[in-house]
Amino acid sequence: MAPIEIGQLEQVKDWLKARRPELTDIDVDLDLIENRIIDSLGFTEFLFFLEEVSGREITTDAQTVNLFRTLRSIRDNILTAQH
Amino acid sequence: MNAVQEEPDFDPAVHRLIDLSINTYYNPYTRFDWPDSLVDEQWWMSPDLLTVFDTPFMDTMSERELMALSKYETLNFYSLNIHGIRELMIEVTRRIHSPGYEHQSEFFHHFIGEENEHMWFFAKFCLKYAGKIYPDKSVKIDTGTLAPDIANFLVFTRITIFEEIVDFFNSRMAKDESLHPIIQEINAVHHQDESRHIAFGRQLMKQLHSDLSSRHGPEEMLAVGNYVNRYIEASIQSLYNPAVYRDAGIADPYRFRRELLQQPSRQRQHDRYLKRTKEFLDKSGLLPSENAYGAN
Ligand SMILES: [Fe+2]
Ligand SMILES: [Fe+2]
Repeated sequence: MAPIEIGQLEQVKDWLKARRPELTDIDVDLDLIENRIIDSLGFTEFLFFLEEVSGREITTDAQTVNLFRTLRSIRDNILTAQH
Repeated sequence: MNAVQEEPDFDPAVHRLIDLSINTYYNPYTRFDWPDSLVDEQWWMSPDLLTVFDTPFMDTMSERELMALSKYETLNFYSLNIHGIRELMIEVTRRIHSPGYEHQSEFFHHFIGEENEHMWFFAKFCLKYAGKIYPDKSVKIDTGTLAPDIANFLVFTRITIFEEIVDFFNSRMAKDESLHPIIQEINAVHHQDESRHIAFGRQLMKQLHSDLSSRHGPEEMLAVGNYVNRYIEASIQSLYNPAVYRDAGIADPYRFRRELLQQPSRQRQHDRYLKRTKEFLDKSGLLPSENAYGAN
């Protein structure tokens, strides 16, 4: 039962939308932090999800938080396995 | 603005805690007999504190596999302590001898000193027996929108709740004679210090909370309640670390983690960890369980 391959970015979008049902779509350039779609308390769960999707462990520090600011940045910097 | 209001019975109680701290002071650097090494095959954590406890995995995993898991779960527990202590030391250091904390600063000296020592022995254990500390996966995202008095309340609420959850584990392991003496000792010593920190933290929480609701509307108070509930949830979830499951040889660590978190029996265990804390939050009116603001 091979599932239809859903793009990694779509998976990330779906994960976020499942937590914020009022969002119908998330633009790739929407600021996820300013718009409170991710915050400190939800960050670790999001990070574990991204590790699972990308297949690698992600390290973070105060500087790297900006890499998670938009879906575009997440795609380009975190989900590198996609390319 | 962020001034702590004086409460008549605050100072004597704090002085008692300071006296206790002075009278039970120990040298952490000579306090423990560190064995050169610890064999892998032993219980590194009480089995009933493992994240698989009360799930079918307790039966499907061999004792050897469970012992391996106990090693990495203990390391994760100490690593969480190390990162938690870093955060609380930063926050308390930011406030010591600053306006509003005149009556707390003397205690803060003991608190910061003791936490520095706790961090030392937790790190020593991790590095000596496993050669690593699990990295901190949390990130501070500061949106800077909180009123200072709410921010202060939340800082000491986070510190105290974190210490209470840790203390549940410490008090259990301090008395578990199936554990190696060094593991029992570390947990016993930490438990002794933390009982003072928790007593102080609870009092400060009440004090910081006392005039919040007169200055902030129900909507803001609801947000405070929701935040505290989410903080508790995130703290519990941090006990389940995919890197631990990977190190313990579990094939799909992320799926394993999800499966555990979905087990209804685990909720029962979380309730056990949180019982004392929730009772305090409820009775003190800080976070009434009956939805006064935000039991979600
Ligand atoms: Fe401590
Ligand atoms: Fe403490």
